[in-house]
Amino acid sequence: MTRFLTREAAIRWAPLLVLIALVILFTAINPDFFAQRNFARIAIAAAPALMVAIGVTFIIVMGSIDLSMEGAVSLTAVLFCFAFLWLGGTLAAGGWLAIPLALIVGGLIGLINGLVHVKLRIPSFMASLAMGFVGTGAAVLITGGDIVRIEDDTFRALLTWRIAGFPLMVYVVVILAFLAWFIQNHTTLGRNFYAVGGGEELAHASGLNVRRVRITGFVLAGVFYAIAGMLQVAKLGQAESVTGANFMFISITSVVVGGVALWGGIGGVWNTVVGVLIVNVINNGMVVIGLPDYVQDGMLGLLVILAVVLSTDRRNISFVK
Amino acid sequence: MSTFIKDFVEREKINRRNFLFASAAGLTATAVPGILGRGAAFADAGGWSLAWSYRDRASAYWNAIVSGGEAYVESLGLTKEDMTNLINEGSSEKSLADIKAFLAKNAGKGAIASDPNDSPNARPVVEAVRDAGGYVSTIWNKTDDLHPWDIGDNYVAHLSWSGEKPSEDAARLLFEKMGGEGGVVHLGGIPANIPAVERLNGLKNALKDFPNIELLDEQSADWDTNKAAELMSSYLTRYGDKIKGVHCANDNMAYGVIEALKAEGITGMPITAFDGNPEAVDLVMKGELLATVFTNPHWGGGIALALAHQAAIGAFKPSEEPNEHREFYGPSILVTQADAEEFKKTYLDATPTYDWTDRWGLSAGGIVYK
Repeated sequence: MTRFLTREAAIRWAPLLVLIALVILFTAINPDFFAQRNFARIAIAAAPALMVAIGVTFIIVMGSIDLSMEGAVSLTAVLFCFAFLWLGGTLAAGGWLAIPLALIVGGLIGLINGLVHVKLRIPSFMASLAMGFVGTGAAVLITGGDIVRIEDDTFRALLTWRIAGFPLMVYVVVILAFLAWFIQNHTTLGRNFYAVGGGEELAHASGLNVRRVRITGFVLAGVFYAIAGMLQVAKLGQAESVTGANFMFISITSVVVGGVALWGGIGGVWNTVVGVLIVNVINNGMVVIGLPDYVQDGMLGLLVILAVVLSTDRRNISFVK
Repeated sequence: MSTFIKDFVEREKINRRNFLFASAAGLTATAVPGILGRGAAFADAGGWSLAWSYRDRASAYWNAIVSGGEAYVESLGLTKEDMTNLINEGSSEKSLADIKAFLAKNAGKGAIASDPNDSPNARPVVEAVRDAGGYVSTIWNKTDDLHPWDIGDNYVAHLSWSGEKPSEDAARLLFEKMGGEGGVVHLGGIPANIPAVERLNGLKNALKDFPNIELLDEQSADWDTNKAAELMSSYLTRYGDKIKGVHCANDNMAYGVIEALKAEGITGMPITAFDGNPEAVDLVMKGELLATVFTNPHWGGGIALALAHQAAIGAFKPSEEPNEHREFYGPSILVTQADAEEFKKTYLDATPTYDWTDRWGLSAGGIVYK
């Protein structure tokens, strides 16, 4: 019994230990890595990615997958910029209205995702991938391939205004991570995600409306993608049809590295937070220690495998698909 | 009869006559395509159908290329819709399949401009066009051993842009702005991309004349704004205050660099870019960017299609042209704060009207192989 507990605890804390080990490793090679200013840089890079990763965490916990994030982030970012400029171009003049608008659009994308998946009985993998393409296509259509810039200093304060050395957006993301944790642990919806992921048949037999839980999950994910879209605009001051590019790889990798099981029911928001930090620490650290860029992609791949090996409990899994 | 009524009757006669002319023309215009399928286009393009095969519409660059093609088509008295857009979405297979389908549909009478997507795909593309009896120009991608003069008149010309010299010019400007000393970092495109390699080489060429400038690091940010922002942040941790200037291989990455610096409260760092996109030119005007390089994709897109079409209708015979007219570099212009406003007025706010029969007017010379 004691041994079991120890093993469970080890698995549980493994992602965090991996993160700490990486920080120690990079610091040992280049002490400049361990500086508040560098941590702020890592946090800025991680902020939008974390929102995407938290969104997809809910879906993965349900045992489904959502690959629409790139299209959803691009489309919400672009629409947010257009709405922001149309409403006056500054936060004070009415641009703030673009924020709820983007959240609604994100939710709608998620809703369509969920409906296509559940009502048309298309696997979530295919339904969401297709919706992602639709989102990117719509973003291309709206922008015509151009860049939309936002110059408002008040909105950009998310990046430029610092409290204790960290930009405002980092605090926003921390608050939202707690919100996501609250949804996960203290709402019926959050518990239902685990019920569906842990055993869909059982959840259904217990009277749970699995279809509704799935659709709601996709809506929630869509809202988080919209937040990521807006943070990306705050970070780069612009949106275009490729704003969401690369988020699929980063977010899914982070979720898995953090110890959330792709087969559902295991892991949660804090795993994802640690996973996103691991991936971003690796990305930043490889440049800081002076690793040549042609080695970096390969090294990232190896470190990801290593992190997954250390941080997921695969002992009771009979099949890995 | 009062003059008023006389005038009125006279005017009505003219209107009626105009109306009849107009209807006749309209009927022909609507009837002919009904019978012949693509009648209207056939009439003005000398029996040839025109197409541009390219990657996608998701960037200002390809939009400018396409606008050039459309401008050429319009110069023939046709409409934009008479140019077929063959979008390959970054797939060489689709690029080839689309071109074959287009030729089959038009019984080989196709004049095509194409970016074959990657170098090895250029040969199958030009051979497919030759075998069908069509005419093609390519831009950017072809292998060094493939030459229009070896394929024949059907492979009219290849157009590319050398990144080396303009990138070197931008680097020199950057080093002078840095006062000839200090550290510089480079953010490059996807490593194996020819433009990425050339633009880095340009920087290295300029370094030879500035012994006190140190190239601290050069890494790839995949032409991407977000990756560039993150790479620049990591550079700041590694090199800190040693960085006195930034050399970027394209505009999009420069936007990311500017934002990464803004996040740190760093202003006034000289940064150069490449592509001459409208946003970059605005940043040059504001002084946030030291310079960018404009390659006039509008002209490139127009002249590539014009060459294919003009060879098809026999306006010139490719085999009678010298090699530097069959493989040539497009133009490039270094845009700095001093001339940004003038540049914007000429090239971005308005589109210059080009004489498409002046086929090599803006050429920067024949392509040189190393």
